[in-house]
Amino acid sequence: MRIEGTETLHAPRDRVWALLDDPQALASCTPGMQELRPTGPDEFEAVLSIGIAAVRGTYKGKLRITERTPPERYAVQVEGTSGAGFVRAVGVLELEDQGAQTGVRWSGEVQVGGALTLGSRMIPGIARMLAGQFFQCLDRKLQEGSP
Amino acid sequence: MKPPVFDYQDPASVEEAVDVLARHGAAAKVLAGGQSLVPLLNLRLARPEVVVDINRIDALDYLTEESGWLRVGARVRQRRLEREGDVRRTVPLLAEAVRFVGHPQIRNRGTVCGSLAHADPAAELPAAAVAVGARLVAHSRSGIREIPAEEFFTGPLTTALRPDELLVEARFPCTGPDWGWAFLEVSNRHGDYALCGVAAGVRARDGRVQDARLAYAGAGPVPVRLRQAEVALVEHADLEEGIRAAAAEARRVLRPDGDLHASSEFRRHLAAVLTARALRLAWSRASTCSGGAHA
Amino acid sequence: MREPLRTVQLEVNGKAYTVTVPVRKTLADVLREDLQLTGTHVGCEQGVCGACTVWLDGEPVRSCLLLAVQAAGHRVTTVEALGTVDRLHPVQEAFWENHGLQCGFCTPGILMTVAAFLREHPAPSRQEIREVLAGHLCRCTGYQNIVRAVEDAARRLQARRT
Repeated sequence: MRIEGTETLHAPRDRVWALLDDPQALASCTPGMQELRPTGPDEFEAVLSIGIAAVRGTYKGKLRITERTPPERYAVQVEGTSGAGFVRAVGVLELEDQGAQTGVRWSGEVQVGGALTLGSRMIPGIARMLAGQFFQCLDRKLQEGSP
Repeated sequence: MKPPVFDYQDPASVEEAVDVLARHGAAAKVLAGGQSLVPLLNLRLARPEVVVDINRIDALDYLTEESGWLRVGARVRQRRLEREGDVRRTVPLLAEAVRFVGHPQIRNRGTVCGSLAHADPAAELPAAAVAVGARLVAHSRSGIREIPAEEFFTGPLTTALRPDELLVEARFPCTGPDWGWAFLEVSNRHGDYALCGVAAGVRARDGRVQDARLAYAGAGPVPVRLRQAEVALVEHADLEEGIRAAAAEARRVLRPDGDLHASSEFRRHLAAVLTARALRLAWSRASTCSGGAHA
Repeated sequence: MREPLRTVQLEVNGKAYTVTVPVRKTLADVLREDLQLTGTHVGCEQGVCGACTVWLDGEPVRSCLLLAVQAAGHRVTTVEALGTVDRLHPVQEAFWENHGLQCGFCTPGILMTVAAFLREHPAPSRQEIREVLAGHLCRCTGYQNIVRAVEDAARRLQARRT
C-alpha cells in the first residue's frame, strides 16, 4: 500500500539536509528506534520497538539508503521482522526550498506479512501518525539549532 | 495455547486496579469484555506482561441517568444498551449505533468503555461518542479527569489515556428536545467493521435545522466530526439544499484510506450518500418529536 | 517467564468442576482439553467464525475470547447440554430434518446461538435470522438450509409451547 504526506520544517533546506544526513539524529527521532548500527556504506542494522495500543513488537531489520541527491532527495529501503510478521517499505523524501523553511514531501510503499496483515486497514493511519511524530521531532531539533 | 504467557490480576476495586496500572505502566493491559484484546492475544500481536481483568469490579457495573447525563460504567456490556429501553429515550443515537457492533455474541461480552478505549477508527461507538459530545472519565492514582470525546481519540487504536489510567466511565449527554438522531453504516456483512458509518443529529426549530452534529466512522485515523457540514445545514433555509451541501462537504473533506474491501473513492461516495440518508432520517425523527411531546 | 496457574471452580452444564489451568488458557481450550467436552469447536480463535459459541449465564458468547479463569462464578452451558442423541433439542431436530449442516464443524456454535436467539425472537423474520447467522461462518452449506432449519426450529418451539 502507498502512503504519502507533506510537512513543513522550520529551517532552511541545507540545515534540514545536514540533519537528515546524520544517522544518529535520524535514529533519535524515529519512534521506537532502539539501535542503529552501521554495517557498511549507507547500510544499517536496526532494532525498533513499536507499540500501538496493546500491539507492541520489537522489529529487527535492515535499513539501506538507496538514493541520496543533496539537498533534494533521499530514498531508503527498510525490512524488518518481529514475532507478529514482517514489514518491508521503500520511502522517498523530497525537500523543497522555501527560504527560511523547507517543504517535505514523503511517500512510502509498504508491504506487511504475517499476523500483521490483520491490521492492514489501519497501517496507513498508523504510519502517518508515526511519520508525524518523526517530523515533529526533526523540527524541534532544527529549532533548537543543533543540526 | 494461543495467548502468550502473562501474569493475571483481577482486582475487586478501582483503587486496586489503578495501583496495578501504576506499577506496571505500558506493560499492563486492561481486560474488560476482551472482544478486541483476546483476539490480539490469541494472535500474539499483543504481549502484555500483566493482564488486568476489571470484571470483578462490581462498582463499575452501572448504567444510570443523572442530571442530564447517561453514565455508563466500565463493566456495562454493549448488549445492555439495546435491552434497556431507557437508552432509546435518553441517548437514542447510542441505542441505534450499538446494534452495528459485531454480533450479539460479541455484544453480550464486549463493553461500551472497552470499545471506546480500544479506539478502532472504524468502530461505531467512538463515532457516536464524538457526535453527541460524550466525556470519558479516567481514573489513576493521581486522581480523576474527564476527557471530551473529541480530544480522547488521538490516532488509530490510540487515545489520550495514559498507561496508568483506567477508563472508568463514559458520560453521554441526554438528547435535548427537538433533536433527532440516526446512525447508518455500510459493511460487507452485518456485524463487520463499517466501510463507512455516519452518526447524525439535527435539531429542528420552526421547520429549519437549528443545530446539527455529524461524525464518521471508518473515514480517517480517528472518528471525524465534520463541523463545516454541520454549519452548511444550519445556513441553508431549504432542508434538501442543506443536506446536499452537507453531503458534498463530506465527500470533499473526508480522506479515508482505501484497502482490500473498499477504495478511498468508494468510501467517500458512501460517506456522501450515508450523510444524506442519515440526515433525512434524523430530521424525520426530530420533526416528529417537536410536533409531538415537546410542541 | 514462569507459567502462572490458577485453580478455579467452573460450573459447566450444571456440573461443578475444579481445574488448575494456566491463566492464559481460553475457556474453549479448557472445555475441550481439561473437561473433554469436545462438542465446542475451535475455528478461528479470533471471534469471527462462531464455532466456539457457548452460553455464559444463559447468553451466547465466544468461548475462544474468554479466559477460563474468567468463567469462575458463572454458569457455562455447552452444546452437550442442549440435547442427547435419544432426545434432541427442537433446534437440533430441525437442523437434522432440514439438512442444515454438511461437515458439521460450525454446527455446535450455530445451535447455541440459534437456541438462545429463538428464546428472545420466537417468530423471527428471514432478515433477522440472516443477521444472527452473520456471526457464524459455514463453508459448506451456503446457509440456505440453515435458514430453513432455523425457521423450522421456531415453528417446532412454538408448537411445543401451545
